[in-house]
Amino acid sequence: MDLALTEEQKVRKQEFYDTCKELEKKKPASLLSMETVFELDDCWEYHLHCAKEFAKKGWLALGWPPEYDGKGDMMDKVLFAEARGYYDIPGVDIFGVQMLAPTLLQAASEEIKKEFLPPIARGEVMWCELWSEPNAGSDLASLSTTAIKKGDEYIINGQKTWNTAAHRADWGFGVFKTDPEARKHHNITFILLDMKTPGITIRPIPYLDGHTPYCEVYFDDVHVPAKNIVGQEHEGWAVVNLLAGFERSGINEIMSMFHGLEDLVKFCNKTKRHGQLLAKDPLIRNRLAELACELQAARALAYRVADLQNRNEMSLMDAAAGKIFFSELGERFAFLATDILGPYGQVKTSRWAPLGGLWEKMYHDHFVTSISMGTNEIQRNIIAWYGLGLPRMR
Amino acid sequence: MDLRYTETQEILKKMARDFLTAECPKALVRKLEQSEEGYSPEVWRKMAELGWMGLIIPEEYGGMGYSFQDLIVLLEEIGRNILPGPLIATITSTFIVLEAGTEEQKKELLPKIAQGELILTTALLESEGVFDASGITLKATPKGDDFVIDGTKLFAEMAHVANYIICVTRTKDSTSADKGITLFIIDSKTPGISCEVMPTTAADKLCEVRFNNVTVPKKNIIGKIDEGWPIVEMMLRKGAITKCAESLGAVENCVEMTVAYSKERVQYERPIGAFQALQHKMADMWTAMETSRYLVYEAAWMESEGIPCAKETSMAKAYVNEAYKDTAKWAVRLHGGIATSDEHDIPFYYRRGKAADIAFGDTDFHREIVAQKIGLA
Repeated sequence: MDLALTEEQKVRKQEFYDTCKELEKKKPASLLSMETVFELDDCWEYHLHCAKEFAKKGWLALGWPPEYDGKGDMMDKVLFAEARGYYDIPGVDIFGVQMLAPTLLQAASEEIKKEFLPPIARGEVMWCELWSEPNAGSDLASLSTTAIKKGDEYIINGQKTWNTAAHRADWGFGVFKTDPEARKHHNITFILLDMKTPGITIRPIPYLDGHTPYCEVYFDDVHVPAKNIVGQEHEGWAVVNLLAGFERSGINEIMSMFHGLEDLVKFCNKTKRHGQLLAKDPLIRNRLAELACELQAARALAYRVADLQNRNEMSLMDAAAGKIFFSELGERFAFLATDILGPYGQVKTSRWAPLGGLWEKMYHDHFVTSISMGTNEIQRNIIAWYGLGLPRMR
Repeated sequence: MDLRYTETQEILKKMARDFLTAECPKALVRKLEQSEEGYSPEVWRKMAELGWMGLIIPEEYGGMGYSFQDLIVLLEEIGRNILPGPLIATITSTFIVLEAGTEEQKKELLPKIAQGELILTTALLESEGVFDASGITLKATPKGDDFVIDGTKLFAEMAHVANYIICVTRTKDSTSADKGITLFIIDSKTPGISCEVMPTTAADKLCEVRFNNVTVPKKNIIGKIDEGWPIVEMMLRKGAITKCAESLGAVENCVEMTVAYSKERVQYERPIGAFQALQHKMADMWTAMETSRYLVYEAAWMESEGIPCAKETSMAKAYVNEAYKDTAKWAVRLHGGIATSDEHDIPFYYRRGKAADIAFGDTDFHREIVAQKIGLA
């Protein structure tokens, strides 16, 4: 067992951290989470700016093979995510860079790879995911939006929902029912489509804090070139499973929490209540220490997941455990931090809000990680069924 | 980065599992818990033949010269199977001899420890039951070339069968509690020493050790006079990781036994493991195991590499303490009534979870260290 980084890795890690630290100087104060990136214009502009900066260095193609202008390896990708997480720097399209690109590399035709990978690496095209439907959430395979082939096109009709950033994205990847007669899991095709295509209507959904990171997307006779598919026609379920396995370590979110903890400690070291520093309150010390231990455990498991991914030995169980753990840690952290802030824990970004209003925001945003990408309850099923070999629900 | 076991570690792990399965079945564990000695001299001798007591002792002193990380692999298996006896007490006391002993002390003690000829323990806690230096009040007073030790130690594991007791004493009163601490290695047969086993949750033979004006030669000091506390901190740090490794193995066993039982036990015409209420609990137990695992491995790797790891160790110990107790509790709950019987094997783990929590510093003790290390004023 060896947890050490090589000398080259240490150098690259430093470069990732230095670059992110530099980019942080221009970060809008309103950028508190990825959700704000999708919502606020100045945050979105900053996201695009960071993407261009990273693209110049080739960092949006980390771990890609050299023939697609890839650079570095999977470990570099993890170290890069760590640095971005620590400084909360956007610029890496979750959907395009983290999910779609590795999926294309493994499952798409040469033609599709050549067409879609370079714009992702250049940070030019931003993507969204078109998966969930009003009646197909955790049970995604029961989706009903159809893409019926007619000549060299698919014609899409139906509705998708919970589409993060659909109102910002240039392109979307989604799964659609292409063979209404075939049995479940063999009737779905993975399709790439331009979000400006006529017939698409996007309606933002108000999130529980009044923000709008998500959308509903309606399809009314939307024509998409039939060549824009990934994997085999009707066998999109395999692509869904493939995609779900990428970038699951959560290191980005975990490092963001590390930074959040550091800032909270500084706050406790300078804020007095009852005539003494919050840092001297034994209860606060104990609770923050408990959280720090859990955070360290989350990071240790994230490295485990990354280590497995690096050697192509992805364990669904470990990825599921990591996702459950870091997302629920995010919930506990938001509750703890807003407790410590006292009445200020309820103040939104404003001159009254400590720490920029981050924790008031996190009190709402933690649901994004526990519910999306397969709810934590589905993750527990994955551990139970595929890992522990317990009987599947019928 | 490579989080896998080395080939040597895989061999060590398999050897340990095979040995313990054959030599330390639960019937023996049950018998030893009820016995006076609390260990089997016969199994102890066989363990010595395998080199376990000398695993981390350098070859020049008759040991195996393995790394601290390798020791962690062995202890994980021991925790998994359960092995009552003085192994951890001896190994953690050996850390003190290795790090602070004079060449003479090392040459005298280490080969015998490696051979399984000596059992060691460290007597640290006193009546206050705290793990910091403020709890050390037992006095060692100079008298000619000797010191006279007078007072009582508590919770000294396996002291009743130990050949040597490393006693943490106060030799000087100081404004700072961690100054004026001196360690002595004392032959347990020295006149004035008496031992009594305390009845405990895990029946793990924690002892009260009374020192009634015990005369100990100055040469029996380990480390420097009045400057012994950093040695204790080192022992607590390494001891905490070894205990974590043992706990991790125990958690693994709790998870495996519970999952296996839930596949066999039928209620409402199906195995209880088919119910999601139980599945999700088992998924959480498994997650607690995996998060514990890499936290422990991280601390163990750092310790093995000589990287300062007081923070990481305390994080691991505070986390694993709770993970073990909770997993063992759920193991009992998911087994149902049957695991509340003393005849079942799960209660061994539930009871030992509490003992493991306390050994080398409980959760709150380690959380306070973490609080300091993350920069709280």
